[in-house]
Amino acid sequence: MLTRVPVKTGYFTVPDDPATPPRLLGTRCDDCGEHFFPRRAVCAKCLSRRTSDVELGPRGTLYSYTFVHFPLFGSMRVEHVGYGVGQVDLPEGPRVQLPLAGKQEEYRVGMELEAELDPLREENGQEVVIIRFRPVEAR
Amino acid sequence: MKDVAVLGVGMHRFGMWPDKTNADMARDAGLAALDDAGLSFRDVQAAYVGYIFAPVMSGLRTMKEFGLTGLPVQHVENASATGSAAFREACLAVASGRHDVVMVLGFDKMTAMIASSSQGTDPAWLEDSILPAGFFAMWATRRMHERGTKPEHLAAIAAKNWNNGALNPMSQRQPEQHVTVDKVLASRMVAWPLTAMMSCPIGDGAACAIVGRPEIARRRNPGRPLVKVLASDLQTERYERGHLFIGPVVGPARMSVDTSRAVYEESGLGPEDMDMVQVHDAFAIEELEYYELLGLCREGEAEKCIERGDFAPGGRVPVSTDGGLIARGHPGGPTGLAQIWETTLQLRGEAGKRQIDGAKIGLCHMMGGGSVCVIHVLARE
Repeated sequence: MLTRVPVKTGYFTVPDDPATPPRLLGTRCDDCGEHFFPRRAVCAKCLSRRTSDVELGPRGTLYSYTFVHFPLFGSMRVEHVGYGVGQVDLPEGPRVQLPLAGKQEEYRVGMELEAELDPLREENGQEVVIIRFRPVEAR
Repeated sequence: MKDVAVLGVGMHRFGMWPDKTNADMARDAGLAALDDAGLSFRDVQAAYVGYIFAPVMSGLRTMKEFGLTGLPVQHVENASATGSAAFREACLAVASGRHDVVMVLGFDKMTAMIASSSQGTDPAWLEDSILPAGFFAMWATRRMHERGTKPEHLAAIAAKNWNNGALNPMSQRQPEQHVTVDKVLASRMVAWPLTAMMSCPIGDGAACAIVGRPEIARRRNPGRPLVKVLASDLQTERYERGHLFIGPVVGPARMSVDTSRAVYEESGLGPEDMDMVQVHDAFAIEELEYYELLGLCREGEAEKCIERGDFAPGGRVPVSTDGGLIARGHPGGPTGLAQIWETTLQLRGEAGKRQIDGAKIGLCHMMGGGSVCVIHVLARE
């Protein structure tokens, strides 16, 4: 199996074990305890500069979603027609907006989702992966 | 807002204008506004220029179309709210006593932007915003879940705005036949449940407003109703649990609540005093939410009010009377100024076939990605 690398570093983990779901890389405020995604140096709530790195998820509750049928601004780049996007509330507090796997019919507001890695392309002998969500019950 | 009047307004019709430059459109809009105000460019003491997609320096270069008088020119950019934010700066410059006559100019060519765009819908890029339609579609999905909203409610808003656009000579979309709810629903799906006809078009255009001291309007246009700027506010996002940091087009709904409360307080008026309202209806679901967020109806009652026609011409408080972003268009920089153009004409009783009878007070609401909410209240003296 190819080594998996994130499409962008600093946002999610890529576990060695493919059966382990990825987690989001976030921040916890050491003073007020609020959690954030993505990582940040200053607490957005209490403005404290004392913050720590934490991992969030991998499960969350679907707040809202859509399936997009057309690319940006009428652009001719149509390769991603039909992709899903969801807003997911993580148990630690943050809401994240990420792609959804599968089909629109599989989703409903309020259901439990879990993060997974999805291979995007092969590059320099490595597999570049993105993070997305899919319904827990479909696993 | 102390003693600030809209002295004149002008527009270049929004639309697809591949053969026109930003300077061409901005010159038309600016000269129209100067003529409307009864002023020469020599009377203009400062200018605020806004655009989103043109290169750096475009504002300064475009202003030279009107002549080189050495006046102070500032660029203002706040995404979709660029024109509104520039208008606010001009009003503050007059209210401060620094200037008597200030020009606000907005222009954009989205058609040129698209040709060079590489930003995207590529879901691989976490930090790229998704298609705006996708973001606002998620407002609609959530609303349907919480309130039982139907696609027909969204289509009714869109159809109203398309039909309003038919009455506005500056509107990008001017349907020749009455647009029905069924037609809106049958148009191409963009991001479920939003269809193409529930979404604003891309386009080009320019708009201009001249603001200044009220006595100048009285002197230059005696006998014409005077339009004053009663209140202006601009707010950015406030943190609350569940805040989205990556991917949103605009921030929490509460921004519109907070900003509208500020202008109501400043003007001493309430939502029930508004005779007409313009909102950032880039997608029909936005207009639905803003009915409630701006206090035009009670929370949870938007659907009922739509069914009753409260926001249609002749309704309790007509919204998007010029067609809104959905029909009149949304090139970017000039959009907020098109709202000022429409509201000024309506308050003067010069809106022709789409005139709201007896309109005395109007509200203009814009959202800008990033994000920012800008609201102005204008009133006929």
